[in-house]
Amino acid sequence: MFEIKRDANGTISLHGRLDASQVNNARAELDQITESCEVDFAELSYISSAGLGLLFGTQKRLVDSGGGLTLINLSPHIREIFQIAGFDHIFEIKD
Amino acid sequence: MSTGGVGGVTAVSGEFRREIEAIGEIFALLETFTDGQKIDEKTAFCINLVVEELFTNMVRHNRGGGDRITVSIERQDNQLHLELVDTDVEPFDPDTVEVPAVDADIEERRPGGLGIFLVRKMVDELNYDYETEGRRMRITVTKTLEN
Repeated sequence: MFEIKRDANGTISLHGRLDASQVNNARAELDQITESCEVDFAELSYISSAGLGLLFGTQKRLVDSGGGLTLINLSPHIREIFQIAGFDHIFEIKD
Repeated sequence: MSTGGVGGVTAVSGEFRREIEAIGEIFALLETFTDGQKIDEKTAFCINLVVEELFTNMVRHNRGGGDRITVSIERQDNQLHLELVDTDVEPFDPDTVEVPAVDADIEERRPGGLGIFLVRKMVDELNYDYETEGRRMRITVTKTLEN
């Protein structure tokens, strides 16, 4: 089960498991982002390369226009995946 | 789906349709195993990720193959053995996947190849073999449990 929400401040929150079968649901929301914003991982329990690739594409598009995503509240397991993938220097990551 | 073993489920196996949407059913199978074996959360995350990456690779690269892909996992002492078998497919050796430039900055970075790269980083062994008869591809993975 996966859900993506955007609050009034523009913060994106991810909930559940972002696997390859759910990535199109996330893409529909992330493609709407046109300026810098935070992505809250507090309720995300799982992510695979499909989700990483989607976040990477969003980040690349925003960086090209002078913006970027800030990722917050990553679980230790997800943070480790970001480090292995070399994404810890592609994204701003905050605890 | 089949399960077996004493002292908790020590082995599970299932055949899944060749569709990305089958991932949820695969996770359900894996959960019976990780719960039965009291596998810690970090290792369970790793098992899910490894199986998802290998399965989605088979679905994407072996289009036109057999209807079903077999996923099996077994515990022997402190080692986990995973196996994915695909039939009626062309050879696709994971070693041929380009390794991503993980140290590159975002301007030079390309998104591809991350799935197999993550798998290799998270397991002890990844082996591939292909039998011409039956056009059968098999990927096996070994991971040692930390505790």
